[in-house]
Formats: sequence, structure tokens, C-alpha cells
Amino acid sequence: MSVLVENVSKSFITKNDRINTLNNINVEFHKGEFVCILGPSGCGKSTLLNIIAGLETATTGRVVCNGKEVKGAGPDRVVMFQEPALFPWLKVIDNVEFGMKLAGIPKEERRAKATKYLQMVHLTRFQNCYIHELSGGMRQRVALARALTLDSEILLMDEPFAALDSQTKNILQLELQQIWLETKKNIIFVTHNVEEAVLLADRVIVMSANPGAIKKEFHIQLARPRQPENIDLAYLAADIMKELKEEVEKVAKAEFDTNWTSKKDIVLSDSDSNMGTGI
Amino acid sequence: MFYLILIAIWELAYRVGVDWLRIWKPYIFPSPIAVFTTLWSLIVDGTMSIAVLASAKRILVGYLLSIIIGIVVGLAIVRFKYLDENLSPLILGLQTLPSICWLPFSILWYGLNESAIIFVITVGSTFAVSIAIESGMKNINPLFARAAKTMGARGFSLYWNVIIPASLPSIISGLKQGWSFAWRALMAGEMISATKGLGQVLMVGRDLADISQVMAIMIVIVVLGVAVDKLVFGKIELNIRQRWGLDKA
Repeated sequence: MSVLVENVSKSFITKNDRINTLNNINVEFHKGEFVCILGPSGCGKSTLLNIIAGLETATTGRVVCNGKEVKGAGPDRVVMFQEPALFPWLKVIDNVEFGMKLAGIPKEERRAKATKYLQMVHLTRFQNCYIHELSGGMRQRVALARALTLDSEILLMDEPFAALDSQTKNILQLELQQIWLETKKNIIFVTHNVEEAVLLADRVIVMSANPGAIKKEFHIQLARPRQPENIDLAYLAADIMKELKEEVEKVAKAEFDTNWTSKKDIVLSDSDSNMGTGI
Repeated sequence: MFYLILIAIWELAYRVGVDWLRIWKPYIFPSPIAVFTTLWSLIVDGTMSIAVLASAKRILVGYLLSIIIGIVVGLAIVRFKYLDENLSPLILGLQTLPSICWLPFSILWYGLNESAIIFVITVGSTFAVSIAIESGMKNINPLFARAAKTMGARGFSLYWNVIIPASLPSIISGLKQGWSFAWRALMAGEMISATKGLGQVLMVGRDLADISQVMAIMIVIVVLGVAVDKLVFGKIELNIRQRWGLDKA
């Protein structure tokens, strides 16, 4: 099972302008692979994910998932959003069971499975709570458990940890890594955080902005499970950061007033001062 | 306690205005004692229970009908864009039309009987219910629908499992509004064309120049309205607010 993105472009037509969000994207995601899509804000990375999910349609090009063209959203490509998108009228356990209920899985079976995945995210104690009783990190765990229950081979994640505080984020990243090692799903993970991308991914796709296109790919061949303190990660992150820096400045120039000039190193400090990086 | 003070002020106003200054006549401004005596005698001689039962029967039938029709119309508007564009303004317009305006039609169609009043009640609250359903469903968090779609919900199951529960808080407040419209329509209808019911007892009070009876019925109407609101809608609303965590302000 693989996902193939072929010549996908997306443009919005506004009153007097035509905005190219995505320009001719070609990329393949392989079975069991953990890919991070990295880019500055506004480069269309979430749009690309939504097109793969089937929540938005591409202007041209197509997405082929497991030999079949994507026509709409479906449970074979579950999405985890930046906000947990849990249903406040259901208890935690019922939220986790939601997708299985739609699929028509019998009550006992889905209860057992929901409990199993809640165990995986360490939240069995809270199964009878309502969503508002949970913290932000716990909600995102429930959302993860809910996404896992559908046994889709593809899991799409749209900056799922971006709204969390950094400690919670670190814990969840490591847990996600563990879960990925156990389940071997094909995870396509959108982020703007370089460290996160390097920690999690087998492959990091850096996107450029205006129009959104794939700029460069990095293969991260480091042993797992990885720890965020690992020095090799920092080297790789610095490498990717260089690539990204240019794009971030480009976006800043487009978004800010015209008198904004990119003074050297104002956006992201260059790691060259470390002496030795990239030699 | 607050209400005791209110009644005391009322009694005081009666004493000053009617007994001392004699600027008002007792038949245009009742004293609380007279009102409560009348109320008691209405309860004792059974008039009240007959009236309340008759009114309750009408409003239940009319309100249930309006909920059913309102839900169907509301869903249809949400589902079909063509209806939304063309029917919504009309419904909004009809909503502003006091339902008692339908009474002449209603009497022509059904005659002077129960059906005429029930029709007026139904017309009175249907539009409020359908508008509430429409706006409730249109204003749900789009993220809920997106998340549900990626989990395989579509068509009927999307509505049943996500859109309806997500819009329940606003639907409930719409039903509540519908209830108060129904209640007003009922009173208006009964005052004009009924042979029993609270509105009719009120009109009898008017015809006999018994202002205490008018006032007593008005109090009963208000108390019943508050009771239904607190006991039925209040409980449902509280339940939803607690589940959703809307009480944590």
C-alpha cells in the first residue's frame, strides 16, 4: 500500500488574482514509512495533506492510494488535526469507538479494541470522562487512539502537537515514535518544527513557499528509538534548517511591509558558528 | 422572599392608589388578596383544573406537531441549497407574523373547534423551530464534520452521529423559543375562540368585569411557563452544558 501524489497543483481564484498554493507536486509515500512534510507557514503543506485526505480537491493532478484514485475522505486515510476534533457530547471511550461504530463493528469487539488503544496512549483511567475534563495533551492522545482504531495503513497528521506545551509535546513525540514502531503505519506528518521532523521521520520533505513546491528531500537514517537529545539529530536539524531558512525569509518578505529587509540571521540563526557543521 | 416583597409593594400600591387617594377604582386595579382569593376559589371549584387540562392538551398536540414539521422543514433547508435560498426568507417573514393572524383562516378551514386552535399553535412555533434547526446545523464547528468524514461518515450517518448532536445546544434553545411562541398562540387562540381553557377563563373574567380573575389567570400562565421551562428545558440544557463543559466560565 502506497500513496502516490501525481502532478498535484492547487490554485485559488480570488477577485483579482489567482493564487497558486501548490505547484506540480510529485511524491510517493511508501508502506510503513514515516514521512514529515516540513515548510514555512503558508507553503501549502496542510493543503497537500488535505488533498491526500480527500477533504479538498486538487485543481490538477491526482492522488492514488493503493492503486485507487482518491475521490473523497475515507477511513483508509485517517486524519489527526492540530485541534483534537473530539466530540464533546461523547465520553472518551465513545469518542475512541466512533470510527468503528460507523464501520459497523459489533459493540463488544469495538469496546475491547478501544480499550486496547486507550491503553497504548495511557488513558484507560479517563475512559468515562467527557472531553472538557481532559487537558490538551490528553485530548490529543484520545484523538490519536481514535485514529489508530480504524486500522488504516495510512495516518495523516496535520501538526498534531503544534498547540501543545513543549514538555507535553516531547512526551507525545516519543510515544508516537513508539506507537509507529509497534504498528508500522505509513504516517505522513505535517510540521513546521525541524527538530520534530528529524526526531520522527525516515524522510523529511522540505517545501518551498509561493508557490508551494517540493524543495528537497532528506533521508534520516538514524537508529530508533531516537532521543531528542541525540547530537546527530542536531546536526541533521541544522542542515535542514539552512534549507528552510531561505523559505521562511521569503514568506516573511511577502507577508510583512516592504521596508522589511532580511538582515543577516534575523529569522533563524545560522548554525555555521558551531564550526564543523556541514563540513 | 423577593416575591413576597413584590407582593407587598403591590398591596401597598393598592392601598395608596385605591383606598387613600381613590385615583383608581377597585375594578381596574385588583388587590393581591382579592386575586389570591379568586385563584383559590377557581382551584377549589374545579374551573382551574379543567382549564389547565384543556390548555395543556391543546398545547401538547400543537407543539409536538410543530416540532415534527419544524424538524422536517429545518432539515430540508439544511440539506437542499435551493430550498435554503428560496424558502429561508419566507420562513423568516412568516416568523415575524404573529400567529394569531392565522386565526381567521384557521376558523374558516376547521371551524370553531380544537383543530383551529391547534393549527394556530403549530403555525406559531413551527418557524421558530425550523429556523433554530437550520442555524444550529449551519453553525457547527466544521472540524467535527471534517474529522467524521475522514473516519468514514457520510450522508445519513454524518447527520445522525455528528451534525445533529453537535447542533443540539442551539436546537434546544430553538425548541424553547418555539415553546414560548406556542404558549402565546394558545392564549390568543383561546381568548378568541374557545369554550374552555385558560384563555377562555381569562376572557370570562373580562366579560364579568372581574379583574381579579384576569389577574389570577395571568399569574397561572406565568407560573406554568416558568415551570415547564425549568423542569423540562432547564434540565436538558443543564445536562448538555455539563457534558460539553460549557459551565466552566
